[in-house]
Amino acid sequence: MFDVGVFLNGILEILKVVPSTLLLAVIILLLAIMLGSIIHLIVQHKVPVLSQLIVVLQSFLRGTPNVVLLYFMFAALPELLTIITGSLGIPFDANKINPVFIVIFTFSITLSVFQSEIIRGAILSVDKGQIEAAHALGYSFWQTFTKVIFPQALIEAFPDFMNSLLLVIKGLSLAYLFTVMDILGQAKLLGGYTQRYLEAFAAAALIYWLLCIVLTKFANKVEFKMREGFH
Amino acid sequence: MLSIRDLRLSFKENEILKGINIDVNKGDVVTLIGPSGTGKTTLLRCINYLEKPTTGSITLGDLNLNYEKITKKEILTLRRKTAMVFQQYNLFKNKTVIENVMEPQMIVQKKSKIEAYENSVEQLDKVGLIDKLESYPSQLSGGQQQRVSIARALALKPEVVLFDEPTSALDPELVGEVLKVIEAVAKSGMTIVLVTHEMSFAQKISTKIVFMDKGNIVEEGPPKAIFEDSTNPRTKEFLNHFYMNKLHVV
Repeated sequence: MFDVGVFLNGILEILKVVPSTLLLAVIILLLAIMLGSIIHLIVQHKVPVLSQLIVVLQSFLRGTPNVVLLYFMFAALPELLTIITGSLGIPFDANKINPVFIVIFTFSITLSVFQSEIIRGAILSVDKGQIEAAHALGYSFWQTFTKVIFPQALIEAFPDFMNSLLLVIKGLSLAYLFTVMDILGQAKLLGGYTQRYLEAFAAAALIYWLLCIVLTKFANKVEFKMREGFH
Repeated sequence: MLSIRDLRLSFKENEILKGINIDVNKGDVVTLIGPSGTGKTTLLRCINYLEKPTTGSITLGDLNLNYEKITKKEILTLRRKTAMVFQQYNLFKNKTVIENVMEPQMIVQKKSKIEAYENSVEQLDKVGLIDKLESYPSQLSGGQQQRVSIARALALKPEVVLFDEPTSALDPELVGEVLKVIEAVAKSGMTIVLVTHEMSFAQKISTKIVFMDKGNIVEEGPPKAIFEDSTNPRTKEFLNHFYMNKLHVV
């Protein structure tokens, strides 16, 4: 039957990896937002070749399961890096790549195309009249962006960014396939160790759920704070 | 002080402004009137290059620009000598009243925070909003928002203020408070170019009326010459329509 003691102990054990999982997710999200901004600029300014490439990439990433991409990257990246470092004459051992880097790389790329859409929508949501007012007041292009567009777009984009963070946290459960220890990985380990898989996975599921609730509450609070007064 | 020569603006095949010449002297209040879709607002927006004229030139103080060869730096200089009040107020909605007025002074004119604050308070006092410094635009009525936007424009001490139908988006009962502020600005000696449908107000405060129709200036002159003594059939027709409509409404 269900062993409450094992379950509670499992929760405590799994909580230990929550900070590192969160950190990993935040790093991925920030990288994805940076990449997404660059993608947005490329698409917005219709940079030849690159913008077409991004359309293809977008469609490819939309149409491929994450787990397949991860397997693909784990096979492709070491090969690719060996070739690149080889031609540059840098010593490199493909077996020593930390799988965390491949996970970060794959997830940030996948996520970045979606972030670019979020950024685009957020920027478009800024009232055109205010941008015109800034121009009429003599703001330069850059001043208009940093003082008028960015602060308002950030507020619009924030809930979507937080949503993406939750997706990454849940998506990272795939990373245990590649020996990166996250919540699911820890649960699997624990299950094997105690031979109580039911309790271990129940604990993992509960922690995912609680994490999601806490982060959503936190996001709502921050958003409310940002909009305070003017909405 | 402000003069525009042979300003033309086409949108695809459509010529919207067909060679406009205007002169505004220091302290003048020039009001553009005419039927809707005639290019009054477009002309006003050409003055600070929010609309891009096809050809023409503008002189503003010591600045002399050819619209065809205008550079980014010249656009900025032109905009920094002018200020605009929009129909929809266009306040920065994530900033308080005082921030709305202070920020442009700090960003564009690099004034210190204290200097900008003192100047902003003075301007907001003039438009009667000294008790709303910490309010956000969404907490204000349209009339109050428009008065903030006037304070924001005046705080920059521009050489000319452009008013683009400043009362058209307001509830009728809020129009008066904004017109009163504009009148005070006019009386302070500020040079003004105004687009409005408030005919009696235009007649009262303007030094010059410019009547436009279909992208051309039909007639211009002192208010009395246009509103009372005009012999131009198009002007008379427009004004008659205007007053008749007004009677119907009342």
